[in-house]
Amino acid sequence: MALGPTMNVRFGTVLFLILAACPLMGQIGEGATDDGPLLFRETVQPILQNRCLACHNQKVRSSGLSLESRDGLLSGGTRGPAVLPGDSEQSRLIHALAHSSDLNMPPGGKLPDAEIQALEQWVALGAPWDESGDSHTGGHWSFQPVRRPAPPQVSDAAWIRTPVDNFILQRLEEEGLQPSPEASRITLLRRLSLDLLGLPPSPDAVGRFLADTRPGAYERAVERLLASPHYGERWGRHWLDVARYADSDGFSDGPRQIWMYRDWVVRSLNHDLPFDRFAIQQLAGDLVPDASKEQIVATGFHRNTLLNQEGGIDVEQYRVERVVDRVETTGAAFLGLTVGCARCHDHKYDPVSQKEFFQLYSFFNNAEERSPELEKTDRPRHWPFLEFGTDREFARRDIIRSQLALLEEELKSYEKGLLDRLPQWEKELEPERRREFPLEVQKILALPADERNEIQLKTLHLLYKEQDLGFSTRKAGIDSLKQAEPKLPSTLVMKELPEPREAYVHLGGEFTRRGDPVRPDVPAVLPPLDARSRPDRLDLARWLVEPDHPLTARVTVNRIWQRYFGAGLVETENDFGIQGAQPSHPALLDWLASELIRQRWSLKAMHRLIVTSATYRQSSRHRADASKVDPDNRMLARQHRLRLESEVVRDVCLSASGLWNRAIGGPPVFPPQPQGSSRLGHSKREWVASQGEDRYRRGLYTHFWRSTPHPALMVFDSPNGITTCTRRSRSTSPLQALTLLNDEAFFEFAQGLARRVLREGPDQDSERIGYTFRVCLSRPPSAEETTQLKRFLDRQRNDLAQHPQEARSLLSLDSEDEDPKELAAWTLLSSVLLNLDEFITRE
Amino acid sequence: MQSYRPWLLSETRRHFFSRCSLGLGQVALASLLSDGRLLARKPDLANPLAAQDPHFPAKIRNVIYLYMVGGPSQLDLFDHKPKLQELDGKPIPDSFLKDKRFAFMDFFTKEKPRLLGSEREFERYGQSGKTLSECLPHTASIVDDLAFVSTVSTDNFNHGPAQIFSNTGSPRPGKPSMGSWVSYGLGTESQDLPAFVVLQSGRQGPRAGISNWESGFLPTIHQGIPFFSSGDPILNLASPAGMSRDRQSSRVEAIRKLNLARLAETGDPEIATRIASYEMAYRMQTSGPELIDFSSETRKTLDMYGAEPGARSFANNCLLARRLVERGVRFVQLYHAEWDHHGNAHVNLQEGLDKVTRETDRPSAALVRDLKQRGLLDSTLVVWGGEFGRTPMGEKRDSIGRNHHIDAYTMWFAGGGIRPGQTIGKTDDLGFSPVEDPVHVHDIHATILHLLGLDHTRLTFRFQGREFRLTDVAGNVIEKLLT
Repeated sequence: MALGPTMNVRFGTVLFLILAACPLMGQIGEGATDDGPLLFRETVQPILQNRCLACHNQKVRSSGLSLESRDGLLSGGTRGPAVLPGDSEQSRLIHALAHSSDLNMPPGGKLPDAEIQALEQWVALGAPWDESGDSHTGGHWSFQPVRRPAPPQVSDAAWIRTPVDNFILQRLEEEGLQPSPEASRITLLRRLSLDLLGLPPSPDAVGRFLADTRPGAYERAVERLLASPHYGERWGRHWLDVARYADSDGFSDGPRQIWMYRDWVVRSLNHDLPFDRFAIQQLAGDLVPDASKEQIVATGFHRNTLLNQEGGIDVEQYRVERVVDRVETTGAAFLGLTVGCARCHDHKYDPVSQKEFFQLYSFFNNAEERSPELEKTDRPRHWPFLEFGTDREFARRDIIRSQLALLEEELKSYEKGLLDRLPQWEKELEPERRREFPLEVQKILALPADERNEIQLKTLHLLYKEQDLGFSTRKAGIDSLKQAEPKLPSTLVMKELPEPREAYVHLGGEFTRRGDPVRPDVPAVLPPLDARSRPDRLDLARWLVEPDHPLTARVTVNRIWQRYFGAGLVETENDFGIQGAQPSHPALLDWLASELIRQRWSLKAMHRLIVTSATYRQSSRHRADASKVDPDNRMLARQHRLRLESEVVRDVCLSASGLWNRAIGGPPVFPPQPQGSSRLGHSKREWVASQGEDRYRRGLYTHFWRSTPHPALMVFDSPNGITTCTRRSRSTSPLQALTLLNDEAFFEFAQGLARRVLREGPDQDSERIGYTFRVCLSRPPSAEETTQLKRFLDRQRNDLAQHPQEARSLLSLDSEDEDPKELAAWTLLSSVLLNLDEFITRE
Repeated sequence: MQSYRPWLLSETRRHFFSRCSLGLGQVALASLLSDGRLLARKPDLANPLAAQDPHFPAKIRNVIYLYMVGGPSQLDLFDHKPKLQELDGKPIPDSFLKDKRFAFMDFFTKEKPRLLGSEREFERYGQSGKTLSECLPHTASIVDDLAFVSTVSTDNFNHGPAQIFSNTGSPRPGKPSMGSWVSYGLGTESQDLPAFVVLQSGRQGPRAGISNWESGFLPTIHQGIPFFSSGDPILNLASPAGMSRDRQSSRVEAIRKLNLARLAETGDPEIATRIASYEMAYRMQTSGPELIDFSSETRKTLDMYGAEPGARSFANNCLLARRLVERGVRFVQLYHAEWDHHGNAHVNLQEGLDKVTRETDRPSAALVRDLKQRGLLDSTLVVWGGEFGRTPMGEKRDSIGRNHHIDAYTMWFAGGGIRPGQTIGKTDDLGFSPVEDPVHVHDIHATILHLLGLDHTRLTFRFQGREFRLTDVAGNVIEKLLT
C-alpha cells in the first residue's frame, strides 16, 4: 500500500499522542494502536532490522529464513513458515522470541517483553507489511514534492503576526493550549541579539529600543541586527559546524590554512547570498563558468576533509576516505539523508542502493589532490590551494626561491667536499678540542672509522659540519633568505582533474575490492538529473537546489527553525529518511520550504519571518499546564530557554568585558588556554597565547586543532570538526563551572568588566551594580538582587582591605588608574555575574 | 518520555555531571526502539552518569587500560620464536606476503624483506611457564596473574587509524570510544569524578589526540576527561591567583543565590542542574588535589611503582589509576609512548625497547600486585596492549627494526573474571599469523563489555537513523579468557 503525504501526517499525529500518553514504552505493544501498518513501520520493522536482519536477510538467509520481506516471512526457512498471519500462537517467530519452544532467538539473549508483545500484536493483526516503509518505494513523505498549504484558520486571529503563527496556533488550539504571553521587551531584544549576532545588546541599545515607542520598533530592531556584520559571524558558525571546518588536518594534526573559506561563509551570509548560490559555489564554485577567485575559495567547503599525514600510509586509501566524507557530508548537509549507510551495502532503510552511493561518489572522485611534483612521495600535501598576494609579492618570492635553489645546490657540493676532508680533520684534532665535544661524540671518535654505525656517523657528520665556518655561514645565509621569503596567505580549494577518475562500486565498502564501474548520477527516488552525457559536480550542485527538489529546502528551513526553538520541526534534523522522526508540524515545514524558494532562497527573509512571529516572541517561562500535555514543548506553547553555544559563551563575556576586538575575519587566533591541553596529541605542541588585540577575538576565530581542541570550546559542546555536525548537544557539567570560575581567559574578562564599570559606570555602589547588571543581562536587577550583590561587594571590600597583597595578585590586567582593592572587589562581583545561568542562556 | 521533575527533586541530585539535554525525538525514539528498554532501566535524564545496572551480573566494576602507543614488538617481549632466530636474515617466503598490505610498502618493494630473529633472551616464568623476554623482569614476577592473548589482529596498519580503531571500533575518527560507551552504559559510582579518565605519559601522545577518547555521537558528558598526576589534576581546577578558599566560596554562594532567584522566576529545571554543577565543581577543588596527593602512600608503595610525587610519569599514572579506581571511576586509560621501534635513532629494538620497558614494566606489574593486595583486582580488569604489533621481518633504517604488523600481536589481561596463568592463541613458527584461536579487536571490545556485564550487541545508541554499537556488526566474547 502506498501512502500519500496526507496519511503520513495523520500517522505523525497518532504517534505523537501515543508517545505523549505512554511514558513506558512497554505499553506500545499493548493495544496502543490497532493500526497494523503503523505498528509495523514504527515498531516492528525497526525490531526486525535491529534484532534479526543481521542473519536473516536476503543474502545470508540463516536457516533459509529471510525477514526482509513479507514473502520471506510467510515462506519461512528450513523449519517452515515463520508466521501464520492473524495467529500469533501458531507462529514460529513468536515461539522463538518468547523462548517457548526448542528454538530460542535471537542468540544474544531474549528480547525485552515489550518488543515481543509488539510483534505478537502485529502478527495478530495479520502481519501487514507497509510498503511505503519499504526501501524500494519512494512513498515516504520527505520524497514527495513540497506543497504550499494555505495557512490554517485559527480562532484567535488577533494573535497571528506571520503565517508561521497560523500553523502553530492551530495545533495549540487543537490541544486546548493557550500560547504564552509575549516576553518583556528587554528579553525580546536580548533574545534577538543573541540569536542573530551571538552578542548581548549594549545598555545603550536597550535604552534606545525601550525609548522607541512608535509602532514597528521591534521590526526595526530586527532589520538593524540583520544588517550587522556580526550576523554573518553568528550564522556562519552554524554553517561551519555542517562544513566540519577546522584549522588542522586531524590524525597527526598538522596545521592548515583554510580560514579564507571561513571568511567567505561569513561574508556571503552578511550579503545574504541566496542559499541556492551559496550551495552551488561551495560544491562547485571552481566549475562555474568564468569562476571568480571568490567562488573558488567557496569550494573550501569540501576541503575541510581530514588529511592523514602519517608516514607509511597508503595514500589512495585516505583519498578514498575523503571522497566518501564528501558524499556523506553532502548527503547530510543538503539532503538530510544518511547516504553513508550505503557505502558497504544497500541502505537498510532508505531507498539508496550501494550502486547509487558510488554514483554520488563518482561526482566527487575527480578532485585533484596531489601536486604533480609531489606525486612520488607517500604523504599527501595541502594541494591544491589558492594564494593571495600582490604581483610584487609573487615576483619577489619567485626571485628568492630561484636564489635559494642555487644556494642549496652550492651547499650540497660544499658539504660533499667537506665530508671528504673529515678523516684529515679527525687526524689533526687536538685532544683539548676533542674533550669539548659531547661525550657521545667523543665515544664515536674513539671508535675506528669502519666500526661506526649509521646513527653514529650521522651524529658525527652533524657535529663536524656545524663546527665548520664555511658550512655554518652558508647555512645561515640560506636560513635568512628563507626568512625573507614572503609568506602569502593561501586557502585549500577544489580542482577538477582534466579526465575523470574511473569510479566503481567498492565491494563491502573496501576500495581494494573492485565492483561494477559506475557513472555519476543521483538516487532514483529523487527527481532525475537533467544534464549532459557525463554530469559533473556543478550539475549535482544545481540539481540539489532545483525548485522541485523535495529535500534541500525542507532540510534547510528545518535547520534554521531548530536554531530558534532548540529542535527542528523534524526532530531528526540529520535524517529525513524512513527511520527519521515525523515532522511535528508537517504543513508548516512545507509552507516554510516553499516560502524559502518563493523568497529566492533568501535566508534573511526566513529569519525575518520567524523572529517576527508571535510564536518566537513568546515568553520562555515554564508552564505547568503546557508541560502536562507537551512535556518537551514540541507544540511551542512557550519559547525555549537555550544555553548559548561554546563560542557565544565566550563572546558574551568578551562583549561585557569591554575588551572585545570587533575585527572580522583573518587568520585564526590563540586566546589563552590552560597549560597542558595542547599537549595531549601526537606532537606536544605549545600553545602560545596571543598578546594584544588578538587575545580578545570572538570564539569563531579561535584556532581549532582537531586532535587537541581548545578546552573551553569542547567543554561547552563544540563539535569535533571531523564529521559534519547538524546539531550540537547541550550539556551541563562541573567542568563548565570550573571554566567560568577559574579559567585565565574568563577571569580576565571579569577584570575587564570591573575596569569598565569603574570607568564608565555611575559612582554610587547600587547604581553601579545596576549598571554592571545591565551590561551583562540587559535588564535592571531586582531590589533583592541589588541587595545581595551590595552585601557581596562590601564583604569583598572588607576582606581585601585586610589582604591588600591578595587584591594585587587577583589582578593581571594593566589598570594604573584604579585602586587595586576596589578593582579586585569589583572583579569578584563581575565574575559572579559572568557565571550566572541567565548570562549564558538565551531566554 | 521524560516529564520535567520538580526542580527541588533534581536539585538534591549530586553528581559529577548532570543533565544533558536530549530532544524529544531522540529520547522518544531511543526509548521506543531500543536502548531505554535494553538497559535494565531507562537512562536517568536528569543525571545520565548515575550508576546504572548492567545487562547481566558483572564480573568487574572498573577497567584500567594500559595503552602502549606505537605498537610493542610481541616478538621481542612475549611470543618467543626460535625458528625465527634460526632463519634470521633469510628472505621471508612469498606465500606469507601474498595479498598483504603493510605500512611503508616502499621499503618492502625495494628489497625483499628478510626475517629478523629477536636479540633478546627468553625464559619461562611462574607456575604457568609463560615465556617472556629479559625486557620484562617485573611482569615476569606476576606472570601467573596474567592471561595472554598472542593472536590479536586488527584492520589498520597505520598508527592513527589503528589507535582510533582499537578505541572506537572504527578507523575513522569521530565515533564514541570504549570508555564513553562504558560510561554511557554504566555511569559512574564516584560522587565527584567522571566515569572515564585519560592519563598520559611519554614523549608523544596518541596520534589523533581527543579522537581516541571522545564521545562521538554519545552525549558529551561521556567523553574521557584528561587528568594529570601533577600540577592542576584537571584543567582549571585551581582557582585564579589570589582567590582564597573563602573568597571562592563566597563567589560560588553568590552565584547560587542569584541562580536560585532565576530558577523561581523561570521555572526552568536546567537552572537547578547548573546550581548543582557549581556545588560539585567547588567540592572537586578539594577532592582533586587530594586525589593526586601521594603523601598518604607509603614509601614502599611508591617504590613498588617507581613513582615520585610530582612527576608526570607512567609510574605515577599507574598509582593514580589505582586511586581513581578506588574512588569509583569506571574506566581509566593510560597512554604511554613510544613503542614504534622501526629502528630509528634512539627508537629502536635495542636502547629504545630497553628504555620504554624500563619505564613501563615495573609500574604495570606493581599496579596488578597493588590491586591484588588491596582486594581490588577481583573487581578490576587491567588490560595491556597497543594498536598493533611488529613484523617478523626486519626493516632497515638507522638500525634494523620492525615494521607495523596487524595479523598477530600480544595483549595481556588481569583481574576479575579472567582465568589467569594461560596464553590464548598460537601463532605460526615465524609469529606471522594465528594458527589457533584468532582474536580480533572487536572481540576484545566484546569481552571487556561482557566482563562489565554489558552485552555488546545490546549496548546501542541511535544516531542518524540507525543503531550504533562499539563492535559495529562484529565481535565475539573470548570465552577461553574467562573463568
